[in-house]
Amino acid sequence: MFLTRVLKPTVTASAHCDLPCGVYDPEQARIEAESCYKIIEKYNASNDEQFKTRAIVIKEERAELAKHHIDVLWSDYFKPEHVQKNPEITELCWKAAKQCSKVKGSLDLAEAKTLLDMIDKIADVWTKAGGPQATRVAKAAAARA
Amino acid sequence: MEPALRAGDWIVVSSISRPPRVGEIVLARDPRDPQNLMLKRVAAVADGACTLLGDRPEESTDSRTFGPVPLANVVARALFRYGPIGRIGWLW
Repeated sequence: MFLTRVLKPTVTASAHCDLPCGVYDPEQARIEAESCYKIIEKYNASNDEQFKTRAIVIKEERAELAKHHIDVLWSDYFKPEHVQKNPEITELCWKAAKQCSKVKGSLDLAEAKTLLDMIDKIADVWTKAGGPQATRVAKAAAARA
Repeated sequence: MEPALRAGDWIVVSSISRPPRVGEIVLARDPRDPQNLMLKRVAAVADGACTLLGDRPEESTDSRTFGPVPLANVVARALFRYGPIGRIGWLW
């Protein structure tokens, strides 16, 4: 209908964004990075060509996942006030994401270790920013022991 | 922003010449992604920034997630809903 076409708004604004669960933990990235580390170890210890091929495929997948989790922390978890207090976080996340790409294409154990260290530095900032209390659901005392 | 705003509502906004006031619904650029325009209610204004909250806190992504929004990001104030017909009315 002509009138509807004329009246119809041309700009769309969202009043209801995504639904973030609010759970963020660098451990998620670390576990994927640990997988890369262990896979490289196993790759180097193996003589089985088929196993080695699979190891490469899976390592690339895990490196990509680590990158994704770092990206989520950077873009969704860390807020302007965190960056104000810990200005290094931007570079830490940026470098760690790049390191994921390096690990993806490399079979050098040292590169995987560098990535783990970088994620640990991000985790330090996350802990300092109150991440554990702010984002995680507390475990039962028995599960912590 | 339900029940004040629903998906598909047609809204008239007016650019604002004064700082937004608490309780008003404003059109603002998402500080995480300035391309993304959003409608939220002003909960507080201080130091050149405002806290924007959705009306349904349990389902809203707002200043609790992205922090205070600089006043420069606030584009306009929501004035009037002109569609759908059954929901026509002022928004303040």
